[in-house]
Order: sequence, then structure tokens, then C-alpha cells
Amino acid sequence: MIPDQGTMAAAPAPTHPAIIAIAVLYFVIVGAIAVWATRRTRNASDFFVAGQGIGIVALAIAAMAATLSGFAFIGGPGLVYQAGTGAVFLVLSASITSTMGAWVLAKRMRLLGEARGLITVPDAIGARYRSRVAQGLAATAILVAVVGYMATNFLALGLVLNAMFHTGLALGIWFAMLVTLSYTVTGGILAGIYTDLFEGLVKTTASVSVFYFVLKAGGGMEGISRSIMAVDDAFLGPWGKMSAMQALSLFFVFGLGSLGQPHIAHKFYMLKEPRRLKWYPLLMSIAMTLTLLLYVGVGLAMRALVAKGSIPPLGRPDDATPSFVLGFTPSLVAGVVFAGVIAAGMSTVNSFMNIGAAAITHDLPRAFGWRVQNELRWGRIWTLALALAAVIVAQLSSTLVAFLGIFGYGLFASTLVPALAIGLNWPGATRAGAIASIATGLVLTLALETLAYFKVFALPTGVTVSGLALLLSLLVFFAVSWLTRARAASEIDDDILLVLSV
Amino acid sequence: MPDLAPRLALSALILSCLTIGGAYASAFWRIGASTFAPWGVAIGSAGALSAMMALGATRRGRLHRASAIAIILTFVIVAAGFGFALSQPAAEGAGGALLFGLPVRTAVIVYGVGLLPLLVLPLTYALTFDDQILSEEDLEQVRKVGAARVVEP
Repeated sequence: MIPDQGTMAAAPAPTHPAIIAIAVLYFVIVGAIAVWATRRTRNASDFFVAGQGIGIVALAIAAMAATLSGFAFIGGPGLVYQAGTGAVFLVLSASITSTMGAWVLAKRMRLLGEARGLITVPDAIGARYRSRVAQGLAATAILVAVVGYMATNFLALGLVLNAMFHTGLALGIWFAMLVTLSYTVTGGILAGIYTDLFEGLVKTTASVSVFYFVLKAGGGMEGISRSIMAVDDAFLGPWGKMSAMQALSLFFVFGLGSLGQPHIAHKFYMLKEPRRLKWYPLLMSIAMTLTLLLYVGVGLAMRALVAKGSIPPLGRPDDATPSFVLGFTPSLVAGVVFAGVIAAGMSTVNSFMNIGAAAITHDLPRAFGWRVQNELRWGRIWTLALALAAVIVAQLSSTLVAFLGIFGYGLFASTLVPALAIGLNWPGATRAGAIASIATGLVLTLALETLAYFKVFALPTGVTVSGLALLLSLLVFFAVSWLTRARAASEIDDDILLVLSV
Repeated sequence: MPDLAPRLALSALILSCLTIGGAYASAFWRIGASTFAPWGVAIGSAGALSAMMALGATRRGRLHRASAIAIILTFVIVAAGFGFALSQPAAEGAGGALLFGLPVRTAVIVYGVGLLPLLVLPLTYALTFDDQILSEEDLEQVRKVGAARVVEP
């Protein structure tokens, strides 16, 4: 499956003046948004939940932008190029997850903000179960995952900036961190939301444009399929190069696990008018589908072009998008795509900086019964500290980055789906069930990912650590809640029960 | 029967998890997935997502008819799409039949599972929102509780 090194082509460098100009313009616009947002950020509520003043279009596009990190533009198409249609199972559930998220989380999270003025995801868990332990555990899980996620995205951004501006990898990483940090630390999530909105529009434009050129270069979907099927009869099978079990496990984890992603759930607090949620699934679904065209299309087109002999095999699967846009699209489109790649990484990092800082400034102190004076100032300080930690991790070891980047999604899913998503919809869930499930997800994910990464232990083919951890934390949640069901009614405050019932 | 909808949704969610658990367990026992295992994950995943939607869409113990139909339809689309791909023989080599530009089994998954729910779920959510998801009265009730909490020490 991996091409022979001797016949591989290196990805060309995106140094065309138009591409550079668009990237520079992108940074100028992000800077302008940051200045505007900084002037409007006056307190912790502005910093962490944008003062509950965001419109529905901004919310939906920002949620899409934060969901689809740089992976959707670089790693994802590379995975499709490498593993065929099996890689599509990572995003296949996008047709369902927006509406599922709206039904399960959006209304309840927003109403919790209304009833209690909550500002973080661990806040919601703490209030739901009247438990500081549950809130602290959820904050710990978030902290563990965000540093890895941020380091992965900084590394990816550093690679892109190095390719475009010849900065060197280390300087590229630092530059990416400083730009993202500058608007996050000053403008908080308000800057984050509006840069996400801008970045989301850039991503969608890039994706739709590139898909047009995918069809053009490959001779339409039929031409792409015929070219690939002529040389490889598994690549375009329903599971691609994966086993059916592997592909279906991805669907399960990325489908149900979408309900445990705190950087998305957190955004529901920010909506100005709760009843505008009516249009959230439609807007989010359209934005996601259009933006995922690039994910699916580029990998297939590059494989077809290689199969036809039009281009040599790629040096690395991750070169699929850079090679395609530089070889088969006009410079203007290539510029928008590279700006989109930068946008994808920065919008995701910004969200993680914000929820990570909130976990340290707001949730962990509350778990220990403390109150931080001036959460705005400490939020900014911890944002800076987290960004520095992630950059150091990104520069220390690519192995460490890969390891930390692997388990983020699964850790969020296994620790937060039961306690948050089910707990906000089932009054029978108990504090003990929530604590047990978060602890199960945290311990299992960390232990099994570590053992698997260092090849001490391997799961059977098709069984993933994230899938197993999510499944077991769900079963533990149900079992412990059932065993302690006598306490369920006494563990919910009346206002929370009202939020659960409307 | 009161609370029938959330009980059914919760039961379906637990059953779906157990089905996936059975599939995973069979993979452990056999040191590799059994023939049953992919079917278990396919049906279990379709069931888990649909049951979770039903649990979230349930309001005051009831599930609106339109929401129920949309969720059941989604379960059928996803389960049938995966089932079709699992049950049909591979035919993705040179000269294989195409459907909308993709091999037939793959097209059923990409267009069926990946796109069809988009035509059903977001519109159902929007159409049932005012009556069944969040009315002005509900919002006012929660706001009053929130305001009272702020006033009280």
C-alpha cells in the first residue's frame, strides 16, 4: 500500500506569489478580528462564552470549523489516498451527528447556561450530578487531551508555514502559536468564534472549489472509479483497505463520540437566542457536507491519477492535498486551500486553548472548593501557559506528538458521552455512575493507548482502543447508575430537572 | 404508559451497546473478528445513534410522531446500508458495476448512509422545534428559574 520510495514524488512547495499573498491576507483579516474582539472582551463570561451573544450562523459555522481540524484537509485526504473508502467512515456519520447533537446536547446545554449561568462543559457535569468530583474528573480528561491536540495542530501548522514561507519547522510552530495565541489570549472565545466563522467560510470555499477540480482532473466520479478499479479491486470496496469491522468501529466511535467533544458542546452556551437552535442542524449539516468534499475527493482523485500513470506515487500520503492543489488547481484556489489548512489548524487550537484554560481556571479550582478571583486574568495567563506547553511538546518529539494526538477524540468520547450526553437526557443517571464512567474512560484510554503505542499489547483486528473504552464507559455508566438508582432523584436539583424535562 | 419513549430509547441504547460489546468480545475470543462481529457493530452502531437521538428528542416522556418516524427511518437506512454492503459479494474490480460513479456497495454506503439522513433529520428537527423542542413558554419558565436563583443568595 505504501509506494516504493524510489518512485515517489516529493510534494511541491507552495511558493507562488498569489498563494503567499492570500496567506498574508488571511493573517491580516484574523488580526483585524482579534483587535475588534479584544475591545469587546471585558469579563470572564465574554472570554469563555462570548457573553452569550453569538448568532446561529456564526455558531454553526464556528462549530463546523472547530470540528474539522487540519486533519480534514491534510491527514484525512492522505488517509483516503492510503486506505481508500474505509477512511470515509471517520466522517460518514456527519449526516447524523449535527441533528443528534442538537437533540441531545444543544438545547440542554444552552438552557443550563440560562438557568445557572454555566460556562464550561465540566460545569454542566458538576451541576447535573451536584458533584465536584465529577466536574474535576471531566476537567482533568479535557486537560490531558487538549495539550496533545494542540501540539498536533501546531506541528501541522509549522509544517505548512515552513513549506510556504521557508521559516524552518521550529519557527513555523512558534509563529503559528503566536498568531493563534494573540487573538485567543486577548479576545478570548469571542475572537475565536468570529475567526472561526471567517475560517469556516474559507474552508468551505476551498473545499467546494477543490472538488470541482477533483472531478475535472479525474474525469468525473466514474472516471476516477474506473481508473482505480482497473488496478486495485479493494480500494473502492465499501471498507476500502480496512476490514469491515475496523471501518464500522470508526463509524461507531466518530458517530456517538461526537457527543463528547467539549469544544463543540461548549459553544452551545454562547448562542444569544436559544430558540434560534431550530436552524442549527441544517446549517451545520450543509457546512460539514460541503467542507468534507475535499476530504473525500482529493484522496480518490490522487489515487486515480497515480493509477492512470498521470503522476508518480506520492512520497507521503499527507502530500495528497498539497500535491493536488499545486498541480491541478489555479494559484488562486491553491492559495485559498492553503489559507484553509492554516485556518483549520488555528480554529481548532483556539477552541482547545479556551476550554483548556477554562478547565484550569474555572473547573479544577471549583472541584477543590476554591474560587479564583479575576477569572479573566487567570484565563489569559493559563491560555499562554497551555500554548507554551503544547509548543514545547510539538518541538520535543514527533513521537510524543503522534502519541498524544491519537487518543484525544477517543478520550473525550469515553469520558464525556455517558456523563454529559446521556446524563442530560436521563434523570435516572446517578453521580456514582457518572464518576465511574469518567474514571473508566480516562484510565482505559490512557492505559490501553500507551500499551498499544509501545506495542506491549495489541487489540484484535477491528477493535480500537477508543471504541472499546467508549463502550465500556457506557456500560459502566448504566450498570453503576442502576445499582445506585435509589439515589438518582435526590441527586438532581429542581432547576436541573426542569432543564432535563423541557 | 408514562415515560414509555425514554424507557424504550434507553433500552435500545443499552441493547445496541451490548450488541457491539458482543461483537468485540467475539473478536477477542477468536483472535480476530468472527463473521458475526461486523454485523454486530453495524446494527449496534445504527441502533446506538438512533436510540441516542430518540432519547434526546423525547420531551416530557413522549416522542413526537415526526421525530420517531425520522429516527426509525435513519436506523433503517444505516442498518440496511451496512447490511447490504456486508451481504453482497465483492464486485469492485475492473468492469464492476457503478452507481452514481461509485461501485454499487460503496455507493449505497456513501450516498445512503452518508447523505440520505441529511434530507430527513435537520428538516424534522426544524419542523418540530416550536412544538416539541423548545417553545417560548419553556424558555420563559427556565429563565424565571434562573432569575430567581440569581436573586436568592
